[in-house]
Amino acid sequence: MPTLTAEKRVLHVDLQGETIRAAQGSMVAYTGKVDFKHAGMGGGGGLKAALKQRVAGESIALMECTGAGRVTLAQDALDVTLVDLPGDTLQVESESILAVTDGLRLDVRFTGLRGMTTGQGLATTTVTGHGQVALLSDGPLIGLEVGPGVPLVVDPDAYVASRGQLQMNLVSGVSWKTFVGEGSGEPFSLRFEGQGVVFIQPAER
Amino acid sequence: MSSMGTTGSFEQVNSKVVRVPVSPAQPVLARRGAMLGYSGQVTFRPVFGQGHGVGGVVGAAMSGESNPMMATEGEGSVLYGYRGLHVTVLQLDGSASLTCEADRLLVHSAHLQSSVEFIGQGGVRAAVRGAVTGQGLFTTRLHGTGPVALLSHGGTFAMPIDGETVGVDPQAYVGHVGALQVELSAKVGWRDAVGRGSGEAFQLHVSGHGTVYVQASEKKF
Repeated sequence: MPTLTAEKRVLHVDLQGETIRAAQGSMVAYTGKVDFKHAGMGGGGGLKAALKQRVAGESIALMECTGAGRVTLAQDALDVTLVDLPGDTLQVESESILAVTDGLRLDVRFTGLRGMTTGQGLATTTVTGHGQVALLSDGPLIGLEVGPGVPLVVDPDAYVASRGQLQMNLVSGVSWKTFVGEGSGEPFSLRFEGQGVVFIQPAER
Repeated sequence: MSSMGTTGSFEQVNSKVVRVPVSPAQPVLARRGAMLGYSGQVTFRPVFGQGHGVGGVVGAAMSGESNPMMATEGEGSVLYGYRGLHVTVLQLDGSASLTCEADRLLVHSAHLQSSVEFIGQGGVRAAVRGAVTGQGLFTTRLHGTGPVALLSHGGTFAMPIDGETVGVDPQAYVGHVGALQVELSAKVGWRDAVGRGSGEAFQLHVSGHGTVYVQASEKKF
C-alpha cells in the first residue's frame, strides 16, 4: 500500500509501483516516474457504480496515479485529513474525496430527502474496505462522537462524512417564520443516532 | 540558497500577514494596496515599472507584468497582507535569484533588483508554455541579498531539486530559486479530447539545481 502523509493542505503519496485513485486534476507536483490516467467509469467502480452515479448526480471524477515516486495532491487550498478504514464503511460527500487507496470500493447510496434540501443530490458516496481515504474540508476536519442515547445534530452544509452504525434523519425547523424572513437561518439540520463518528468542517457550503 | 525557516528581517505575524521593519537604510517595495497598518513615520510612494529608469517602465508596460508596486520609506514597521492569501517569506542571499510572476510579490527589500524577463527567449516552446499556462510571456526575476514575501493560495511547500526532474502543475507553480530549467510538457491524447483525461495533460518539468515553490491549490490570481 502506498504511504500517505497529510500535511495541512497537501497530501504526499509515496508510490512504489502501486496505484492510487485521486480527484481529477488534483496533482500539484510529483517526483519520479508517475503516470496519470482517467480512472474510468464510476471512478473505477465499474459500470453499475457509474450508472448509479449518473442517476444520483453524485459524480466522482477520479484519476489513477501509477508509478514510483512522490505525488503531491491538493485542491483549492482545502485542508486534508487522512481516515483509516479497517474494513468498515465511510459515508462521504463525493466532492470531499481527495484520494482513496487501492482496495477500497466506492459506491453510491441513496439517502432520500436529505440531499434535496442541501443541494447535494439524493445520494451520498460510500467507501468500503481496507485502506486509507484522504478527505477535503474547508478548515480543519472535526470528528464528533455519537453514542447510544447521545444523538448529534449538525448543519447539513457543514457535514462532510460519517462512519459507524448511524441513522441519519433530517430535522426541519421550517415554520411560517421562515417564509416571512424571520427564521433563525437554520431551517434544516441533520440528526444522527446510534454509534459512530460524524465529521464536520468549520465552514458552511 | 534560501529556506522557509530563515525569515530575515520580515516577521511572519501569522500565515497571512507579515510585519516589515522599515528604516532609511532599509526601504521596501510592496504591492500597492497591500498595507494593512503601520506604526512610526512611514511614507508610501507609487513606483512605476519593475526595473529602474525608463527602460523598466517601458519593459513593464510592454510585458503586461505591470503589477503596481509602491515604495515604503521612513522609519517604523508596516503590516502587509493581501486578500487573505498565504504569505511565504524567503531570504535571498545573493547566490541565486528568484523567478516568479509579478503578481506573486507581496513585499520585498528595495535592495533586491528586479527585472522582467522574456521567457520567449527559450524558443517557441517557452513561448507556448507562457500562453498555455496563462502566465504570459514574461516573468519577474529578483536578485541580490534580502528578504521577499510571496503570495499563494493555501500556502507553499518547497521542493528541493538536485539534478532530478520534478513535475509541477502549471496552475500550482509559484516560483523557483536557483538555476532551474522550466519546460512545459504536453501529453494531450485522444482521452483528453473526449473528456476522459486525467486532468494533468499539461505539466511543468522543472530540472536543475535549486528549489521550486508550489502552492496547495490550482487557483491563479
